[in-house]
Amino acid sequence: MKHVIVIGGGVAGMQCASELLKEGVKVTLLEKEQNTGGKLRNWYKLFPTYTPAEEVLSALRHKLTGAKNLTLKTGVEATAITPKKVTLSTGEQLDCDAAVIATGFTLFDARVKEEYGYGIYDNVITSADLEQMFVRGEVRLKNGAKPKRIAILHCVGSRDEKVCQRHCSKVCCVTGVKQAIELKRLFPEANVFNFYMDIRMFGPGYEEMYREAQTQYNVHFVRGRISEVSPTFDDKLQIKAEDTLTGRPLKMGVDMLVLLVGMKSNDMNSALVENSFLKQQPSGFMQPRNSFLGNVESNVGGIFYAGAVTAPKNVGESLNEGVAAARATIDWLARK
Amino acid sequence: MTFFAKFCIPFIIGAAILFIVIACKYISWLKNLPRQDLKLIAVNIFSFKSIKAVWEVICESLLHRRIFRVNRMLGYMHMSLAFGWFLLIAVGWIETVAYLGFKWVPLQGHVFFKYFAVLNSINEHKPLFDFVMDLLLLFVLSGVGLAWFKRVRSRALGMKRTTKHVAFDRMALSALWFIFPLRLLAESCTAAIYGGGSFLTGGIGILLSKTMSTYTLEMIYEPLWWLYSIALGTFFVAMPFSRYMHIFTEIPLIFLRNYRLRPEAKEKSYDNFEVEACSRCGICIDPCQLQSQLGINEVQSVYFLRDRRYNMLQQKIANNCLMCGRCEQICPVGINLNTLRLNSRTSMRNIPNEGRYNYLRGVDRSTGSGKVGYFAGCMTLLTPNTLSAMQKIFSTAREDVWWADKDGGVCCGRPLKLSGESDSAQKMIDYNTELFRKHNISTLVTSCPICLKVFREEYRLEGIEVLHHSEYILRLMKNGKLKVKYTVGSTYTYHDPCELGRGCGIYDEPRAVIEAVGELLEPKHNRKDAFCCGSSVANTAINDSQQLTIATKVAEELDQTGAAKIVTSCPLCKKAIKRGAKTQVVDLSEIIAENIK
Repeated sequence: MKHVIVIGGGVAGMQCASELLKEGVKVTLLEKEQNTGGKLRNWYKLFPTYTPAEEVLSALRHKLTGAKNLTLKTGVEATAITPKKVTLSTGEQLDCDAAVIATGFTLFDARVKEEYGYGIYDNVITSADLEQMFVRGEVRLKNGAKPKRIAILHCVGSRDEKVCQRHCSKVCCVTGVKQAIELKRLFPEANVFNFYMDIRMFGPGYEEMYREAQTQYNVHFVRGRISEVSPTFDDKLQIKAEDTLTGRPLKMGVDMLVLLVGMKSNDMNSALVENSFLKQQPSGFMQPRNSFLGNVESNVGGIFYAGAVTAPKNVGESLNEGVAAARATIDWLARK
Repeated sequence: MTFFAKFCIPFIIGAAILFIVIACKYISWLKNLPRQDLKLIAVNIFSFKSIKAVWEVICESLLHRRIFRVNRMLGYMHMSLAFGWFLLIAVGWIETVAYLGFKWVPLQGHVFFKYFAVLNSINEHKPLFDFVMDLLLLFVLSGVGLAWFKRVRSRALGMKRTTKHVAFDRMALSALWFIFPLRLLAESCTAAIYGGGSFLTGGIGILLSKTMSTYTLEMIYEPLWWLYSIALGTFFVAMPFSRYMHIFTEIPLIFLRNYRLRPEAKEKSYDNFEVEACSRCGICIDPCQLQSQLGINEVQSVYFLRDRRYNMLQQKIANNCLMCGRCEQICPVGINLNTLRLNSRTSMRNIPNEGRYNYLRGVDRSTGSGKVGYFAGCMTLLTPNTLSAMQKIFSTAREDVWWADKDGGVCCGRPLKLSGESDSAQKMIDYNTELFRKHNISTLVTSCPICLKVFREEYRLEGIEVLHHSEYILRLMKNGKLKVKYTVGSTYTYHDPCELGRGCGIYDEPRAVIEAVGELLEPKHNRKDAFCCGSSVANTAINDSQQLTIATKVAEELDQTGAAKIVTSCPLCKKAIKRGAKTQVVDLSEIIAENIK
């Protein structure tokens, strides 16, 4: 029986593992956290349908439970990957016939953009923090009060040469719109401002959501990046920005700032490249063999990619890549 | 006695042209000096400063002491050529006096004395002079040999890269390389036919007389003196138009500098002395990070000065400089490279737009009150960790603080100055000066070295002490107003910001502050030799990824120290290094704020 190691237990990895199992392959699924689910574990609802993230995860987990050819190893990382052997952080070495890398991305650390004051001022939070607040069911300011004026800043750690992130993270625009609507649903009286460079609504239903945010929820969209944030004497946040549509600088007091943090290439990618013949793109994301017909294959035969390890992707795309990577792996095993 | 032969003509013409051109240059430069500079000369010329200048001329123009500090071989090469040639002339003059007594001898009589001694049938020989002159010639020839060797292997003389020369330089250089070997041959040939000479010319003379017939020797005798004269003449003609103009220019420069003349924000006549004193030795090339880390080869100070001198300076050259000062501190002539580049930028693009600065009128967003004023600067406002650390330090020390720009203020003016818009910068300088005066502060603290430099150099803040936060924090600690705890085992490394270190000479204070809380591990390049972070506001030509390349190289060295934290004391450096470092990067104030007892 052929043995495939899937590295990463997020949506792409889980999907890929379940597809491989269907084909009668022995699968070892590695997850560095204690639980499968990846980034989605910390997410509340998914755009554009407001589907609870938990719903997607439990369906995926359900597909894997009880599978007799599956070995799930949590709390371990892969340190070196070859098509024949995967070395784990515990020092253990696993023999295999192929490997799928589905390690996903690293969330951009908002502290790097020090001027936005994340980790310095209360009430400057990231989009990931806000999802956690939604999960807990309590979106509150540090002092317990309800937010009245909220700014959402797009492109934090995306399309920003100053922090070496030239690429667009793709999903933040629609996340920003989704979160603005969710905030307005919670606090209909609140003013929500989205500061953006461009609004990129690439998926089905996204543009409609953007329109709805404006017409139905009265979310304000200001074209311009925030340049700096400072605290005011009454514990609010003062933001400085430029409204590039009117060409004027603006200052605004808000009581909560949400930073839409982008997708950074996985921090582990560089180490991966050092220990193998795999290639990285200038953005740090892994380089697929080919952008069209080999987009889930690496440049090394027998090593495949699924999900956001190669580029920012949304959940649906990552799930599809899980299937595609499984298919490519099966084909490769058959040819061997 | 006759002191003329036809072969002297190239030499005489060359020397005359040299004399006329140099005289014209000096007269026009001195004539156009601003009144202020002329006054400085008048005041200082009959003072101890002139004696000091003479001593400096001996040390630098002749002995090349500063080049010795760069590399001993390189120093020897320059010294043997300059000092050796000087001694040949001086001893040669004494030699003529020794033979002929005190009487007027034309210039060529001194230079070609060996020839004229024969011509005028002076048959006696003075072996001591022959020996000394041969020794000096050997000394100079050893320098020429090294110069040839440097062409092939510059690394052996401590230079990875050497200057790319213009046509006049090549012409003068080739002539210079041939002058002394030709002199050796001409004098040896003379010795071969007429005797005389010491171990070198005499020795070669014996060798020549043994290997060649008298007829052949007499055939080549005149042509050799001709060639020697032509080489000298060619060199003299090329000299004032080539880099060798530095030989004569450095001398008045040293005097003027001792009289306290300096280049300023606007170009002026004095700059000519600095620009033409550049010998294009190329020592400034290797320290330039644009060269070593980005492979940009045409912008270094040597090329900037060359282009400015020949009136072919382009903005893209003038603007492509980090102004880190690494070249300035190693320049053997001590040229004020940064100031010259800035005033070039000013002449090239100073287009003040009056309307743009109307908003300055009457703005005052400052808060608080106290004798101590704190000016954060734009970059500190973009690194609020520094700002909140300073807030904590001020409140712990119970200092009443007037916050100049916490809620927004006007730029210090330095970035505009650096981009050559000095008139616009002046508006900001005037505005801020008035603001500081209005609020009656006695101390002005800033955590931005860029602001600090312009406060110290361009603002007229008599009565207000301007301090960098490193100096201020150290003072608070010494006064006992601020007590910090030392953690055994905590390690820090320190990056010297250009504007603070080379710019303001502040190296020790930040180090003393760090050593109060933990162990300091120095990176390989530190203090005067420290690298620039690459994000300098002075460079508007390189792009972001080039800045990042530099930052990564700098961060690499800091990471290698193994320290737990990288400390710097400039918000711009902090942001730049953070992009490339694996280790956490913090401002000096942050490590103090978190270790307050």
